[in-house]
Order: sequence, then C-alpha cells, then structure tokens
Amino acid sequence: MQYKNEIKNDEIIVFADTSLYSKDSIFKCLYWYGDKYHTNVSFADNNTYRVSVKPLSTNQLSQEEQQYLLLKLERDLVDYNLRDIVTKETQNVRDLLIAKAFSNGEFDELPPGDVSDPLGFNINQLKND
Amino acid sequence: MINEKADKRSRKFREIDQFDLNEQPQYYLLPFRFHRITDDKEIIVNEVGDYLLLSNGTFERIVKRQLDKKKDADLYGDLIANFFISEEPIPPLIDVLATRYRTKKLFLNYFTGLHIFVISLRCEHTCHYCQVSRVTQNKDLYDMSIANIDKGIDIMFKSPNPHVTMEFQGGESLLAFDNIKYAVEKAERIAKEVGKGLTKVICSNLALINEEILEYCKEHEILISTSLDGPQYVHDNNRHKPHASSYELAIKGIELSRKVLGHDRVSALMTTTKLSLDYPVEIVDEYFRLGFQGIFLRNISPYGFALRTDKSKYETEKFLTFYKKALDRILEYNFSGHYFTEDLAKIFLTKILTPFNVGFVDLQSPAGLINGVIVFNYDGGVYATDESRMLAEQKDYTFKLGTLDDNYNDLFFGKKAQEIANVWANEALSGCSECAFQQYCGADPVHNHATQGDMYGYRPNSDFCQKNMEIIRYLIELMESDSRIKKIFERWAKTSTH
Ligand code: SF4
Repeated sequence: MQYKNEIKNDEIIVFADTSLYSKDSIFKCLYWYGDKYHTNVSFADNNTYRVSVKPLSTNQLSQEEQQYLLLKLERDLVDYNLRDIVTKETQNVRDLLIAKAFSNGEFDELPPGDVSDPLGFNINQLKND
Repeated sequence: MINEKADKRSRKFREIDQFDLNEQPQYYLLPFRFHRITDDKEIIVNEVGDYLLLSNGTFERIVKRQLDKKKDADLYGDLIANFFISEEPIPPLIDVLATRYRTKKLFLNYFTGLHIFVISLRCEHTCHYCQVSRVTQNKDLYDMSIANIDKGIDIMFKSPNPHVTMEFQGGESLLAFDNIKYAVEKAERIAKEVGKGLTKVICSNLALINEEILEYCKEHEILISTSLDGPQYVHDNNRHKPHASSYELAIKGIELSRKVLGHDRVSALMTTTKLSLDYPVEIVDEYFRLGFQGIFLRNISPYGFALRTDKSKYETEKFLTFYKKALDRILEYNFSGHYFTEDLAKIFLTKILTPFNVGFVDLQSPAGLINGVIVFNYDGGVYATDESRMLAEQKDYTFKLGTLDDNYNDLFFGKKAQEIANVWANEALSGCSECAFQQYCGADPVHNHATQGDMYGYRPNSDFCQKNMEIIRYLIELMESDSRIKKIFERWAKTSTH
C-alpha cells in the first residue's frame, strides 16, 4: 500500500519501507528530536514504519515551520539510514582496527611459514642442536 | 549440443569482460562518519580524524556504490588514499591506520599528569559567580594541612606518568604561600630521587604577588597562571575586590611577573560571563594589547544553570555569536601579520589538521578526568576534576573519588572511577556514536551531570554538544571557504604540536 507523508493535527508523519530502512537508523534519527518533540514509531503495516514527531506544547510551530520540519525529518531519516549502513558494514574492520591499535603487535600478521634463513636452515632446529 | 558457456569456462584464459573493467567499481566501505557542513557541502571523517569535504549527495553515492571509477577518478583516489573505502575487504595498509589511531589516543599511554592541589579555599575577592570564595579568615579550616600535602605528593608520584604537573589553586593560592613553598621543595626532592619530570604552576589573581614571591618562583621555575576577563569594566565587574580594582592589581601583577620570570612564564585565562558576551572585540583587543600570543575563549560556566530549559540553549547561542565575533577579530590580527591564536580553535584544529591529539581534559575520549587530571581538595577530598570539587561546594559529591587517606588503586581504579568510566568515551554515547566530529570532540561526564542531572548526558539539548558541534563546523566552513584562513589555521595547529 502506498502511504503519503503528511502533516495532520500538528503531527509530522513519515512512512518508511522496512526493507529499506533499519529500525536502528530510525531510532538514532529520532533521538535528536526528543528535546522538542514527542516522537513515535509504529507499523503502518507489515512492511512500513510510521514515524512521527509532534511539537511539545511549549514549542508551537507555524505552518511554514511544520513544512520545513517534514522535509527535515525525511532528509534526516535518509541520512541516518546511510550512516547505519556504514556503521554495520564496517563494524568488523573497525573492531580489528582498534584491536590492532591497542594490541602491542599481537594482531599483526606474521609472514607465513617458519622463520628460517634464506638458505633454508631451520633456525629453531639449529638452536636446539 | 555444445554448451558454449561451459566450454569457455574451461579455457585457460577468460573472456576480456571477466576482468575488472566495470565502470561501477566494487569497493568496500571503511569506518567513517558524515555531517552536513552547509546547505551545499557535506563532510566525511574517518576513524583517525582525516576529513574530506564533498558536495551534497556524494556521501549517498559512496554508500550506494554509485561512484564511477573513471568519471569520479579524483574522488575515488582520495577515498582510497584517505582510508574511506578499500578495494579489499581489509585494507592492506590497516596496520598504518591502526598506528595512526594509536597516535590519536596516545594520551592514554601516560595516565594522570596534572595534579591540582587546592592549597587554600580562602580568598580576598568576592566574585559573584564563584562558589568557592567568601570564606576568608579561618586558616585551619580552609587551608590544606601539611599532612594532606604530604599525602597528595605521595599519590602524585605514584602516577605512571614520567612527567607530572603540580598546580596550586585556590581560593587564592598565594594566601597559603608558605605551604606552597613546602610542597614545591618536597616535590622537587622526590622528583629528583625517582627521576620524574615536574612542572609547577601557581594559579593566582596576582593581587598579593610581590618581588619576593616572584624571586622564589624564578628560583624554582614555577609558572604563573592568572585570570583576566578583558578590559577593566568587564574584569572589575566580574571580579569584585573590596576597596580595590582587581583589574589594576592583575595588570600590575602580570607586568611584574613578566619582568622577573620572563614574558612567556605568565599565562592568563578568561572566564566568560553574561557581561563578557557584549564585548568580544574589546576582550580580544585587551589580550592582544597586553602582548599575549592568544586567548582562550572559554564557555560561560554552566554551574548554577539548570539545563533542559530554553535559557541555557539561549545562553549557548549567545556564546556562539560572541565566539564568532571574537574569532573574526583574532583573524583580523592574523591577516595583518601577527601571530595571535584562539586556543579552543587551536585544540580542535590540531585534532582536525594533524595526526596528533591534544591532552585537553574536556575534549578527550576517554575523558581527561582521572586519566589526565586529579584534584586534591584543601580538606583532603580527592575529586575527578576541578569542576567536581566546585560541585562539592554545593554539597554534590558525585565525583568525589575518596580521600587522600585512600590508596592509589581505590582512588584511580575504584568503584567510582569505574562508574565514571562507563560514560567517558564518546564512541559509546548516544548521539556521539554516529557524530562525524567524534574524533575532534570528547566526553565530559561532570558537565553532563552538572547541567543535565546525569553523567551520560542527553546530546540534543546539551550545551557542550551544541557548542562543540557548531564551533567545529564553523572552523571547517571558514578554512574551506578562504585559503588565507586555512593557512593561518594550519600554522596554529602546527605550533601546538611542537
Ligand atoms: S558531544 Fe556532540 S559534537 Fe561532540 S561528539 Fe557528541 S554529538 Fe558530536
């Protein structure tokens, strides 16, 4: 079903396809609205999030401001979804990077094979002889 | 029937279209973060603080793999060279990146360097914004005892840091100058024995400074740090001294101190108050006129404000306007050939433009409290930061780590320290975790607690966040729009790493 983003009774409502937007990104986005707006996330149907923000009573908006807010919310949802993609795709590299940075060499790769001199003597064996 | 496809697959050489001539390159993303700088520019910053400024929509194209290797050759090259993307799942140079990350967090290697001794709470000033003044006479009650000084020195030398700094604060520290002398001489002896570096600083309003004190400072290589809020009408309004001008005493003190100790052994710090906000240019001019090499435009003190109100947000906006006007003025001096810095900008710029970091308590992650600074209060209490002991003056002991009678491990690694450690890395805080400026900014649990009532903090209405985010954004906007400013900023950043 097609939903249209709208402003209804002072509430800014945006719909997001669950196959395109992650739940994390929606909450991370709404986090920044919490000081001035009531925020809400629910399902419009199985495949669609309904995301809404409504100004607190102390924060009345003009029509123009509401239009701007709708645009901002739409844009922020896209931004946070993209950020979330980067975060999730790069989580492993990031963990590896930080582990390497603080590891004092434990995570550095050793050259493959035994340590030996170019002539092929096995140093470990020589030491034991 | 001959299966042509299968046949081809079995050949030694593959068809030419099997090779990587795709215009749409296959690449892997590396960790980085994104922020909008202006209406038409956006920024991406990687894990070690390198940034690329891009035109709007580029971030989306990068993430959606819409770059064209030929048409976007420059951008593609930049992204690869600066570790934003990689053509292999794990970049071949990941060890280089790891070393750079380590360099950015090098301040963690040394542990606590700055040890603040609140040598006396007594003060002869009655500044209206100061919570700690107005206890004047009783020496026994408000001076640090010799026994506590001994214990403080003992703890200081247990720090693994090869170079420790001992800073005497007040109240007015010079009211307890005899105790300072005792502390300095004892610390010098031990530093020599154990082979540690020792820097000594006296923080004073200089009203009581005289040649005798300064000769002692000279002999013992003690630095002087004083307070100067701007021109006389600002300073004297902020700092009330009965029957005298605090400004005149400070200026006289600065001149005398420079004469005896040398010009660069004396520094000054300003406190921004509501009154200061109306005089950005005059305050900068005053510092310039007095021959300082820069000024630190510090945020208006949050203590006493209650956040989650529009008031503090409004105050922060006013501070930002003040800051930008003052910075403009500072840049004017630089345009005309002078070297004159703004020190908050200098801290950010060092992080933005160099491979290094700055050990500045409020702008580190993990935070600088305990890791970088510790405070020994006059009464033997040990606090995480200077602001923490100010809170204690309002009977809030949240950041009291213990007393000088406790052992080192309990103070620095005990329950309280662990509780604070849960919230001292901005990498793991809501809001900050996805913020492009994470590497440039820091975490300040004490500020969060003081202004928002909990250490974790709430970024959307945090004045700390609002201020840092806007100043960092503004600095980048400035230098990217004017190459002269970029040169000046590069010079500031460079000089702070020497
Ligand atoms: S405090 Fe604000 S500016 Fe600083 S890292 Fe966190 S979100 Fe970014």
